[in-house]
Amino acid sequence: MRKLLVFPILFTCLGMMAQDTLRTVQVNANRLLRDTGIQKTTLDTLFLHDNISLSMADILSRHTTLFIKNYGRATESTAEFRGTSPSHTQVLWNGIRINSPMLGTLDFSTIPGYFVDETNLYHGASSISISGGGLGGAVELKTRPVDFQGTTLQYIQGIGSYDTYDQFFRATYANEQWSSSTRVSYSTSNNDFLYTNYDKKVDIRDQEGNIIDSYHPKERNKSGYFDDFHVMQDIFYNDLKGNRIGFMAWYSYTNRGLPFLSVDYKDDSEFTNEQKFNTARAVISWDHNLEKWNLNVKGGYQYQDMAYDYFTRREEINTDITHSKSYTNTGSIQGEANYIPNEHWLLQANMSAYYNHVRSYDRSPFHIGDNYDLGRMEYNTSIQARWRPIQPFSMAVVLREEVYRDDFVPLIPAFFVDYVLYQPWRLALKASVARNYRYPSMNDLYFQPGGNPDLEPEHGFTYDAGLEFCIPIHDVKISGNLSAFDSYINDWIQWLPNTKGFWEPSNVRKVHNYGTEMSLNVDYKISSNWRLRLSGNYAFTPSINRGENLNSNDASYGKQLCYVPRNSANISGHLSWESWTFTYKWNHYSERYTTTSNEVNYITGRLKPYYMSDISLEKTFQWRWGHASIKGVVNNLFNTKYVTVLSRPMAPRNYEIYFEFRPQWKRKSSIN
Amino acid sequence: MRIAYSYMYMLLTVTAVLAACTGSVDGLEEENFSNTGQGVFILNEGNYNSGNSTLSYYNPETRTVENGIFQRANDRKLGDTGQSITLHDGVAYVAVENSGIIWGIDAETFRVKGQLTSSQTEHMINPRYIHFLSDTKAYVTDLYSPFITIFNPKTFQYIGSIGVPEVKANGYASTELMVQYGQYVFINCWCYTDLIVVIDTKQDAVAGVIHLKTSMQPKSMVLDARNKLWVLTDGGYGTDTDSFGENIPHLYRIDAETRSVEDDQALDTDEATVQIAVNSARDTLYIINNDIYRMGIQERHVPVRPFIKAPVDKKGARHKLYGINVNPRNGDIYVADAVDYSQSGVIYRYSREGDLLDQFRVGINPNGFAFK
Repeated sequence: MRKLLVFPILFTCLGMMAQDTLRTVQVNANRLLRDTGIQKTTLDTLFLHDNISLSMADILSRHTTLFIKNYGRATESTAEFRGTSPSHTQVLWNGIRINSPMLGTLDFSTIPGYFVDETNLYHGASSISISGGGLGGAVELKTRPVDFQGTTLQYIQGIGSYDTYDQFFRATYANEQWSSSTRVSYSTSNNDFLYTNYDKKVDIRDQEGNIIDSYHPKERNKSGYFDDFHVMQDIFYNDLKGNRIGFMAWYSYTNRGLPFLSVDYKDDSEFTNEQKFNTARAVISWDHNLEKWNLNVKGGYQYQDMAYDYFTRREEINTDITHSKSYTNTGSIQGEANYIPNEHWLLQANMSAYYNHVRSYDRSPFHIGDNYDLGRMEYNTSIQARWRPIQPFSMAVVLREEVYRDDFVPLIPAFFVDYVLYQPWRLALKASVARNYRYPSMNDLYFQPGGNPDLEPEHGFTYDAGLEFCIPIHDVKISGNLSAFDSYINDWIQWLPNTKGFWEPSNVRKVHNYGTEMSLNVDYKISSNWRLRLSGNYAFTPSINRGENLNSNDASYGKQLCYVPRNSANISGHLSWESWTFTYKWNHYSERYTTTSNEVNYITGRLKPYYMSDISLEKTFQWRWGHASIKGVVNNLFNTKYVTVLSRPMAPRNYEIYFEFRPQWKRKSSIN
Repeated sequence: MRIAYSYMYMLLTVTAVLAACTGSVDGLEEENFSNTGQGVFILNEGNYNSGNSTLSYYNPETRTVENGIFQRANDRKLGDTGQSITLHDGVAYVAVENSGIIWGIDAETFRVKGQLTSSQTEHMINPRYIHFLSDTKAYVTDLYSPFITIFNPKTFQYIGSIGVPEVKANGYASTELMVQYGQYVFINCWCYTDLIVVIDTKQDAVAGVIHLKTSMQPKSMVLDARNKLWVLTDGGYGTDTDSFGENIPHLYRIDAETRSVEDDQALDTDEATVQIAVNSARDTLYIINNDIYRMGIQERHVPVRPFIKAPVDKKGARHKLYGINVNPRNGDIYVADAVDYSQSGVIYRYSREGDLLDQFRVGINPNGFAFK
């Protein structure tokens, strides 16, 4: 059997954990030649598959330093990387870009954690090694072939507060050559949590109209319901002669109400305010592995229709306020070649082409008819050379070129270096410098009314430097990294209202992002049946407007961008004893300003910092014929009243319980 | 095992410490205000769907401004997209459009005296403007509803509504400002129409419509001393696929008695909100058309040169003005600059001669003034 080509691994710190009974796969500290100088965070499957109700938005907010701008429980959630905007985070699923070509962003609340097997975050300049346009960074989501031979079945039933029901089913089969995985999930919830509405107050008056008492009412989250269905099939075939063919297909349907603002006094029973999505993504890939070569070819197709409806049906009133719909079709093809002439060199070349077609139309206060109905070609190509002249030192150069419409984005170069300072601690110094560009989304260019076809790509320089380490001390493994970055983004695209009431984009801002990111992971095998794992992240991310003032009254120069916290931190701890596991998750975001001038005199000018705690306790049962577990979760343990966006209340303390069952009829063996 | 217990203890201790600092959203201590002077209320629209509309109060004598007074006095938010403020009988009535509420606020203490919400009425959706027919009867226009809501401003009780199916256009039914001539109330209808609707207040029914014909989207309107309606359109707009006007604002003079258009003149293409205001004698018009123009009601044309030029920066960028009104007591002109629409706006206060007297910061997107 010809083994799959494996790139040389410098060292592996926590590899042993993959074999542990905790079913964890910690690959955080693996450093490959292809990762030379790269600031990369790999999310543990322990976090991805913590419980079935978690979306990638929940996972990223709890376990990374990304700020998730969340409009409420299970509603639109976008990711801000290092204080940039959501469109500056590129997202790839099995190698294809899945940011909406229309919006330039991705809603992470629509991706269940259980449908992702591996997540890698590429910070800042490091994103250029996998994609252009990630001025903040890139998130890579992967589906992996099944690990074990034989057939497995898994069913998880979740029951939670607010009539929330989560169902997840997975069937896998694998032998030496074939593997297949089918995943299905369905989640539904009324999501009508009760909260004290501090944005309203009810007055109790006497007969003369004098206020004799008043109180903040307890209200339900109005119009927050959701139904979310996903099905994913992946099949891999390995001919054991160096060829692997993969097919991954994912369909999802989401119907969700848009929660009313906490300051809305309308009766939600008279209004429909909801979004519906149908999304399909498919990738077929072929990997061909030779002794020194690896070739990969992918074809991808993505479809999404999105509908937003806001209307009222009352007596004698049938008012349709907004009906908007869009259809997006994306076809892509991609080829990549890796060549390793010897242990000192890795050469890579990648080419891809995407065709996006968007039809968007609506009936809204500012438009009736087609917003636009257009197609756009996008081409990306990159060449990468990585060189390790001597064992502790390596360097890399990446050159990337992107074309959209008929416009060539200037060459995107990146340079990386990597030096191991102290081998026993795996202490390595990493640094990079890059110029990056992000071209405008199709809405930015074409949306009618407002779209601006004269927009220039956003562009900037990013400088990164950091340390990475992994220290094994007897039964304790300590790993982590510390990095600093400095980034300038020019021609930042901003949408501003015009005189007619609709919004128009223009290249107006210049933004300086800088700061530090750090993470620390501790794995302590306390005794034969006790184990403690701690993971913490912290980021300090000033994101400062350095653009020209719009006019002399503009006080936004030198101020932090809206809704970007300067400090974010999270800690998670897992303590396991035999078949019991206790988990504690904590995260924090500092205050966020809601105005470009960072007003602190208004009550609505800033959102208070908040600290969030979740706990869970899981008990697993292992029998000869199967495996089962029961898990109880308390979210928002301390009942924190908080918002991440103005007037969008978040859920108070709530509870979930999960039952998992996996029948077992034959001992499984791992696939090499 | 003892080590494990120690770690358990440590984890619980950390949990307890973290529990002590959870951050929060909570209520405020209500402030007591007593403003018996002749101040100016400034309504700050805020950003749509953000719930950050606020109310400011300016004292021209002391040149001091208090921002966020509604929330500070009442420990609740004003709401989402404050559209208009109107003073009547010592009460400031604020229509907060996307919250579906009209607040009545004591003009001296800023305390809530009452409110009318969308769910208390049959047809109100997004209230825009309020017009008082008497102490016990007022009309409310609406962005989406093809009805004029009638309520009692003393008791905040819903009285009824007037159907205005004539204003429906492209699925919308937008009614805006109201002025009264005799028993008739004239309403300009902004979204997609060229209409002025006339309501007979005795019948609470539509008494007719006026078509402007040459321009779309009447946005602002006043009535002068000679009972002429001055109507300013924004001209609509065009897209690549549709057109709702030529994007050129027009100023119309309409005789309220005969309801005929007497004059129609095209203005400069607007780079800022167009708006019209009238002084207390109702003999002088003030018009935002990029700059501010002053025009006597006898004049045939808007002057060539502006009365007050919008501030211009060193690089030639003109400030985008967002609102205007004239203090009926002394003729001072108040002009709002929304800056970038996402930060505190600036108010310029000019004398009747056009001299800048003061400028100060208020809330986001100041759009309306009410004078005590």
